[in-house]
Formats: sequence, structure tokens, C-alpha cells
Amino acid sequence: MILEAKNLNYYYQDGENRRYILRDTNASFEKGKFYTILGHSGSGKTTFMALLSALDEPHSGNVLFHGQDIKQIGYEKYRRNNVGIIFQSYNLVPSFTAVENVLVPMSITENEIPKDRKNVAYNLLDYIGIVKTKADRFVNKLSGGEQQRVAIARALATNVELILADEPTGNLDEEMEQEIIDIFTKLAHEHQKCVIVVTHSNEIAQQSDQIYTLKKGVLTKHE
Amino acid sequence: MNFIKRGALNVTRRIGKSFILLFIIFILGNVIAGAISIQQATSNVERTIKERIGTAATLEIDYQKLDSMSEQEMMEVDWTPIGRDLIRQIGELSYVKYYDYSSSTWLGSDDIQSYEGGMEVHYGDSYNPRFQLKGINYARVLDFEEGRGQLVDGRVFTDDEIENGASVAIISKKLAEENNLHVGDTFALTNKVFDYSAGEEEEIASRDVVLEIIGLFEPQSVAENDGENSDRGMWDWMDIEYQNTVYVSNQVVREENQFHMEAYMAIDEEYAQMIENEEIHEHFSPIFILHSTDVAEAFAEEAMPLIPQLYTVRNVSDHFDNIAGPIKSMATLSGYVLIVSIVASVLIIGLVVLLFLRDRKRELGIYLSLGERRSRVVGQVLLEVMIVAIIGITLSLFTGNLLASGVSDTMMKSDTNQQYQDYYFYGGELHSNLTTDDVIESYQVHLNATYIMMFLVIGLLTILVSTVIPLIYIVRLNPKKILM
Ligand SMILES: Nc1ncnc2c1ncn2[C@@H]1O[C@H](COP(=O)(O)OP(=O)(O)OP(=O)(O)O)[C@@H](O)[C@H]1O
Ligand SMILES: [Mg+2]
Repeated sequence: MILEAKNLNYYYQDGENRRYILRDTNASFEKGKFYTILGHSGSGKTTFMALLSALDEPHSGNVLFHGQDIKQIGYEKYRRNNVGIIFQSYNLVPSFTAVENVLVPMSITENEIPKDRKNVAYNLLDYIGIVKTKADRFVNKLSGGEQQRVAIARALATNVELILADEPTGNLDEEMEQEIIDIFTKLAHEHQKCVIVVTHSNEIAQQSDQIYTLKKGVLTKHE
Repeated sequence: MNFIKRGALNVTRRIGKSFILLFIIFILGNVIAGAISIQQATSNVERTIKERIGTAATLEIDYQKLDSMSEQEMMEVDWTPIGRDLIRQIGELSYVKYYDYSSSTWLGSDDIQSYEGGMEVHYGDSYNPRFQLKGINYARVLDFEEGRGQLVDGRVFTDDEIENGASVAIISKKLAEENNLHVGDTFALTNKVFDYSAGEEEEIASRDVVLEIIGLFEPQSVAENDGENSDRGMWDWMDIEYQNTVYVSNQVVREENQFHMEAYMAIDEEYAQMIENEEIHEHFSPIFILHSTDVAEAFAEEAMPLIPQLYTVRNVSDHFDNIAGPIKSMATLSGYVLIVSIVASVLIIGLVVLLFLRDRKRELGIYLSLGERRSRVVGQVLLEVMIVAIIGITLSLFTGNLLASGVSDTMMKSDTNQQYQDYYFYGGELHSNLTTDDVIESYQVHLNATYIMMFLVIGLLTILVSTVIPLIYIVRLNPKKILM
């Protein structure tokens, strides 16, 4: 098991009341598999992803990475070395080119990165579908789909096993969506990554190896 | 792409914003640099002027106090002049480097001509006491040590000559030349006593004072200022008086005064009786050379209780306050400007940087989401601000200095025109020919190491403090809220 959620509880304080978004949520994820998390808007999918990616802290329960509590690893360190995060709104640094964006996490992580980083970054982008001429463009001169590819390349730049994506195709048209999903499938199946993707698209969910649905704070595993 | 590279890259990539920040820092830097320049220049003036004025102090009658006294009080006041013992006692204070006291008298001469600045002056045949016999106690001559005059030939006195009242003298070179005298020559002054009681002058006694020349002096400041002094008239008068000064021991002066008094006693019994009943007081002008101007106040404080009520301690460096008006007002003003501009800079730069950071909050959130340490994100922003700040501060280092000299020029010009007249100080034994013009002349705004250091430290500290608010903002950023 590369990643486990153990009895996660997360709520918002609503005056006197606690409004639970996640209630005793459990889940486990393996390498080499492509997972999707399905749920309606407002069901708490983003909240769950934030907990898995250590951008937020549960009120109780633990997230285990290879059996170790990520709190113990240290949230920052976990983000830096163990997980690649992809957002719906890409979140690239606009003053940098595509390749520069990919280079950023390489100098933050403590993982082994090959010496010729720039080449690695270009190759990574090329593999994801960004040719060199586009790699040298500022990211706001790329299409949404291209930007999301850059974001995926950035997530892969630190050589992590775990990729978390929160509605990565939410802003893309269907064609682009399918291309991105193909990349995720390839990453899971050919590169033995653990890919967890939040979506509200049934079509995407159908292509994954394992579906979880989130409803009223309860996460259910689909057989 | 570590945080240092990121920072450097960001400065050039967001060149527009960098320029805005640069411009703001440059403008504020100019104000701060200007204020520091002026501060520096004014404190330099105080130091150099006080050095030029010297560290002398004297005891003199406090005319202010005298003016404010009622007749009753005047009657009760102790009129004893400052005596030799008191002078010695004060001279022993630890602040005093050395001291002298002097009594003097004026004599005429049938033997030599007075120096009159090259002009033909005829006094007729009547007795004219043109020569100041200046008694001294300090054998090496305080006036020479303090730079009023300079020995150009011969030697100064020996302690023996001072003590025994030897008939030796030091005269000015000009006076010697006028009379074709040289070291080793003798000349005669005449001490004549007149009685005016009959309505017209009647010579009652006369004797010659024969003195051997042991040394020649030249007034120092005259040589220095030759040709460029605008206050020529005033200066000449002082110069001529000094050229005709004859340095002797106090003892010599005392003997001549004695002769004078005895002549009167011989013709006036009442006077003789009065003198006999009272102790004879010699009048001395003391002068104390202090170790430094810094101890002037402490010296005055310790000396005050020792001297008679009617007297006061006068430091020559007090003179600075009289002539430094324009400088003082510049110093005060620039002090305020400095404080206000630093506070304003902290606020303005802080808010501008904060504003720019709010624009970039997504970028900063990205770094944090990628696991970057907050300290490095802070470091990156600090670096970006500092790169711009160092450029801006370096530029304003020079322009601010120029600005300061421009501003001070106009300010001091208007200032002198308005209030400050040249103040000529020539009282007691303290001589200072420094005027407000001298002060303004020695006021110079220029680049020097202290100024550069001071401005860099103050400037960069100001920038550093101004980034505190923005940095708190970074530390409180929540990447989840920004990005998800
Ligand atoms: N700061 C907040 N304070 C109170 N409630 C919040 C806050 N942030 C989110 N919520 C609530 O928490 C619930 C879960 O939000 P979350 O963003 O996880 O949903 P989601 O499943 O990702 O929705 P979507 O599909 O629209 O992205 C929502 O009902 C939302 O209104
Ligand atoms: Mg969401």
C-alpha cells in the first residue's frame, strides 16, 4: 500500500455545530493503479485531496504514506519528496516558461534528480506532448490543455510515485480531456505510478482501475 | 531553479513592477541620502570649526550678571580680581593641558617706530603708547602654541627669564624690519606718567625700558589669509595691533605698572594712602588650554564654584554657537526629514511590496504546494526586493548627495541673508576671527566613506524593516485556499 487514509474526519465549524465534510473516511491506494474519486459538487472531493496531499490537516485520523503518518514525515517534506499535485486551474508560475515551471520542483525536492535537469525537463514535457518550441514559451501563451500537460510534467519532475489530481480536466474540452486521461492511464500502467484523480465525470471514472464515490461525507469503494 | 535563481529571474521578468519599486526606492532614497548628507556635513562643520577655534577658555567678568544687578547688590559684590593663586588652582584641573595668565600695559617709544601697515602715520611729537607690553607666564608663549602667531626667528623665553623678569622680549618681524632690528639687538620703550589734574597733561615721571630681542614672530593667520580676506579693514586693525605687541614676562609688566603707580603716589597723598592700606591687586587675564573641546563644559562646571561670584568661565568654542546659526538650523531640519522619510519609506515600500505580493499570491502558493520551505519563499521575496533596493539605493547615493548640496546651498544663502550677520568675536584674551562665512565655507556636502556606509546601513535597514509586513503576509499564506 503506498497511500492509506485512516478514519479521516474533517468538518467546518458552523456556529455551534460541526458540519462534517468527511466522516471516518478510509481508503487505500496501490502503485501501478489509476484511481478515480467520484462525487457531486460540494461532496468534499477537494477536501479529501487536500488531506491526501498534505495541503490541509484532518481533525482526526491519519494519512499514511508507505505506512508512515505523513504528519511524522512532515507535511512540507512529504509534498516536496513524495507527491505530485495537479490542480484544476493548472497553477503554473506565469512569469516562467513551461520548462522553467518544470525545473522549479527539481530544486525544491530532496529526491535524486539527474544532473542535466534542463534536458530532463524538456524530455518530460516532450513525453507529455509539449514539443521544445512550446516548452520555451511562457505558460500563459499555451492552451489550457497544454498548460495542464505542463502541470503534469511538473508533478512528475521530482520522480514521485504518487500523483494526485483534483479535477484536472475540469476546464478542458472532451477531446483534451481524453488525452489527459490517457496520460494518467499510461503513468499508472507503464510507469507504476499511483494516480488518484478526482472527477465528476462518469466517463473518466469508467476508465480507471478503481472508483471511489464520495457522498454525504462517506467514501465508498466500488467493486 | 532554486529560490535565488527564481528571485533573480522574477526581477527581470516583471521588469515593469521592478521599475516601479526601483523608482519609489530611488525617490525615497534621495530624501534619506540627502538628509544623511546634510547631517554628516553639519557634524563635520561642528568638528572642524571647533578645532579651528581651539580649546581655550578664560575667566571674565560676567557682564550679563552685572547688568541685571541692583545697586544694592553691586555694593555687596566681591570685586576682587582673579589672582595668581586662583589661576594656578584652576590650571591644575585635569581638563587643562596648560595655561597662562597675562597682564599688560601700553608704552610709547622715542627709539623705535611702530608698524603701521606700510602707511605713513604721524603722531607728532606727543607721547603715543603704541606698543602693548604683553606679559606672559608660560615661557613657550601660548599665542604661538595655539597658532595665533609663529616664532620665525630666535627663541622663546626660558623659565628663568620669566621668573626673574629678565629684560628680554619677542617682537614681530614686521616691527623689527621697520626699525632694522635683529635678534640680539636691544631697543628702548618709554614709560611716561602724566598728570591731568591741572587740566592739561603734565609729565611727572619717565623712564626707559630697554629690552633685548630674543625672538621674532609673525601673526599666523595673516599669512594664511593673505589677499583673500574680505574683511580687510577689520583685520588690518587687529593685525597692526598685534604687530606692535611686545612679549615680555609678567614681571616686566609688573615693574612698569609699579613705576606708574609710585609716580602717582608721589604727587597724590590721598591716593598713596589708599594704596598703602589696601593690598595691591594685579590684574591678570588667564587663559586655559583644554585637552579637547569635549571637556569644555565639564571644565566650566568645575571651575565655576572656584572663581569669584562676578566672574564666569568663557569657552572659546562657545563661539561656535554664535556663528553656526545656518548650520544648526540645517542640522535640525535634516534630522526631522531623516526620521520622517525613514518612517514614510517603511510604510510606502512595505505597502507597495505587499500590493505586488498579493498579485503574486498564486505563485507563492505554488512554491509552498511544491513543498518549498516558507523561509526560502521569504528569502526569494527578500532577495527580489533587495536586488531592486541595492540598485535604487546606489543610484540615490549619488543623486541624494547632489540634491543635498543643492538644497543646502539655497537654504544657507537665504539663511545668511536673513538673520546671520558676521559675528566678530574679539573679547578678553580669546581670539577668533571665524565668521559665519567660515562656517558655511567649511560646510561641504561630499561623498565620503562614513556617509556611504551610513546611508547603505540606514537604507538597507529601512528596506528590511519595510518588508516585515509583506513577509508576515507570506508566512500566513494558505496554499490550499489559494490553489484549490
Ligand atoms: N472555508 C469553508 N468554510 C465552510 N465550508 C466550506 C469551506 N470550504 C468548503 N466548504 C464546504 O465544504 C464542502 C466540501 O467542499 P469541497 O471543495 O471539498 O467540495 P468538492 O467536492 O471539491 O466540490 P466541487 O466538485 O464543486 O469542487 C462544500 O459543501 C463547501 O461548501
Ligand atoms: Mg473541488
